[in-house]
Amino acid sequence: MRKYLYVFGLSLQNVLQRRATLVMDRVGGLAAILALYYFWEAILQGKDEFLGYSRSQMLTYVLLMNVMRSFVFTGRGWELVQEIAHGRISSYLLRPLSYQGYSLSLDLAQKTIHLASALLELVVLVALFHAPVYVPARAETWTLFAVAVAASSLLFFFLEFLVSCLAFWTSESGGPLFCFELFLNFAAGSFFPIDVLPRMLQELLRATPFPYLVFFPINIYLERVSGPEAFRLLAIELGWLAAAWAGTQVIWRRGLAVYAAEGG
Amino acid sequence: MIAKFLRIWTRMAVMSFGAQLSYGIGSFGFLAGKLIRLFFFFAYIVAIFSHTKSLAGYTLAETVLFFLTYNVVDITAQVFFRGIYGARRAVQDGDLDYYLIQPCPPLIRLAASTVDFLDLVTLVPVLALLAATWTKLPGIGLAEIAGYCLLVLNGVLIALAVHIIVAALAVRTQELENTIWIYRELMFLGRFPVDIYGGALKIVLTVFLPIGVMTSFPAKALLGLLSPAEGVYALGVAAASLSFSLWFWRDALSRYTSVSS
Repeated sequence: MRKYLYVFGLSLQNVLQRRATLVMDRVGGLAAILALYYFWEAILQGKDEFLGYSRSQMLTYVLLMNVMRSFVFTGRGWELVQEIAHGRISSYLLRPLSYQGYSLSLDLAQKTIHLASALLELVVLVALFHAPVYVPARAETWTLFAVAVAASSLLFFFLEFLVSCLAFWTSESGGPLFCFELFLNFAAGSFFPIDVLPRMLQELLRATPFPYLVFFPINIYLERVSGPEAFRLLAIELGWLAAAWAGTQVIWRRGLAVYAAEGG
Repeated sequence: MIAKFLRIWTRMAVMSFGAQLSYGIGSFGFLAGKLIRLFFFFAYIVAIFSHTKSLAGYTLAETVLFFLTYNVVDITAQVFFRGIYGARRAVQDGDLDYYLIQPCPPLIRLAASTVDFLDLVTLVPVLALLAATWTKLPGIGLAEIAGYCLLVLNGVLIALAVHIIVAALAVRTQELENTIWIYRELMFLGRFPVDIYGGALKIVLTVFLPIGVMTSFPAKALLGLLSPAEGVYALGVAAASLSFSLWFWRDALSRYTSVSS
C-alpha cells in the first residue's frame, strides 16, 4: 500500500509543478460551465421550474457538473493507449506493483487537485453570479452523494481502462476511445440532464452504466430521488462498478496474453 | 502565386487523406465521435425546446441556426488550419527549419501539414441541417444570405488569426502546448446566441475574445437582426486581428533561433 501512496504523492507534486498548465486547463474547462449556466438562466427566465427542476436545482445541476467532471472524468485512458502502443508498459510489468493500482494512484492525485480547483471555482462562480445554490435538506443525502460520487469516479476509471485496453489488439484504439468519451459525456448527463430527452432515449440510456456517472449522483444531491430510490440507484451503480471491474480484469489478462511489447 | 499555394495544399491534402485512410479503425472512431457530439447536442437542444418556446427570445429554428453556424465556422477552421495544432511539435522537433528553407511561406506549409477530412465529412450533415433550418426561417432574402456567407467567411478569418497567433506563440516560447485547446474550450461559448450571456461576458465575447462576432453575428445577419454598423465592426475585427496575427507571426519568426533542432 505504501508504494501506491508514494506514487500518489509524486503525482501530486508532478501536477502541482506544472501550475500554468493546470490553471489554463481549469480556465478552459470553465467555458462550458459558463455557457450552460447562461443557457439555463435564459431558459428559466420567467419560469419557476423546468421539467420538475426548480430554478435553484437546475442551476446547481450546472455548477455541480463542473465538480463532477473534475472528479469523475479524469482518467488515464490516453496514457494507457500510448504506453501499450509504444511498449512502455513493459517496464511497469516488471515492477513489483499492480499496473491498475499504479494507474489508480496517479488518477487519484489528479482527481484530488482537480476537485480542489473545482470546489474553489464553485465558490467563485456562486459569489459572482449570486447563484441560488440548492443545499440538501436531509443529512443522509450528503453521505449518499459522497458514496455515489466515489463509486462513479471508480466506475469511470474502470470503464475507460476497459476501452483503452483495445490498444493490446490494435494500435488505432485512440479513435474508439475518443468516440467512447464523447458518447459518455452526453449519455452521462454531463452537458444536460438526461431527463430532458424523449422518454424512449432516456430509458435506453438508463439501461447503461453512463447516467450513474453524473446524472444520478447529482439527482441524489438535489434530492430528486427519494431515500429508498436513492439506495436502489446506488446499489445498481455498485453493481455496474463490480461488472466494470470484473470486465477490466478479464480484458487486462487477455490483453497481456497477446501483448508483444512492440516498440518497447 | 495562389495557384502554387493551391497545388501545395492539394498535395498535402492528398497525403493527409491517405494517412487517414490507412488509420481505418482510428479514423472511424474519431469520425463517429464527432458525429455523436453533433447529434447529441442537436438532440438535446431540440428536446429542451419541446418543453419551452424560446431561448432569450429566439425560437427553436433560430437557436438551431446559431448552433449550426458555430459548427460551420468551427469545423471549417478545423479542416483548413488543423496543421497549426502541430506548431509546437514542429518547432521542438526541428521541422520548422525544413519549412523555412522550402519555397513556400512557412505558415502555409504549417497549416497545410494536416488537412482533416474527418471534419470535412462532419460538415456534410451540418450543411444539410442548415439547409433544412433555413426553410423554417421566414423572410430571408438574397441580401441576408449574402450577409450570412460574408460573415461566416469573416468568422473563419478571425479563427485563422487565432491559429496564427497560437503558432507564433509556439515559435516564440516552444511552450503553451494547450493554448489551442483553451481556444477550443472557449469556443464552446459560441454554440449559443451571444445575447444569452450577461452584460460583461457579452462585451468580452464581442470585443476582446470575438467568439460572438465569429459565430453569432452571421446568424443574426441572416435573421435581419444585425445592424450595418455591427456588420462593419465584424469586418473590422477580422481585418485588425489578421493584421496583428501576421505581424506577430513575422516578429516570432524573426526571433526564431532554431534552438531546439
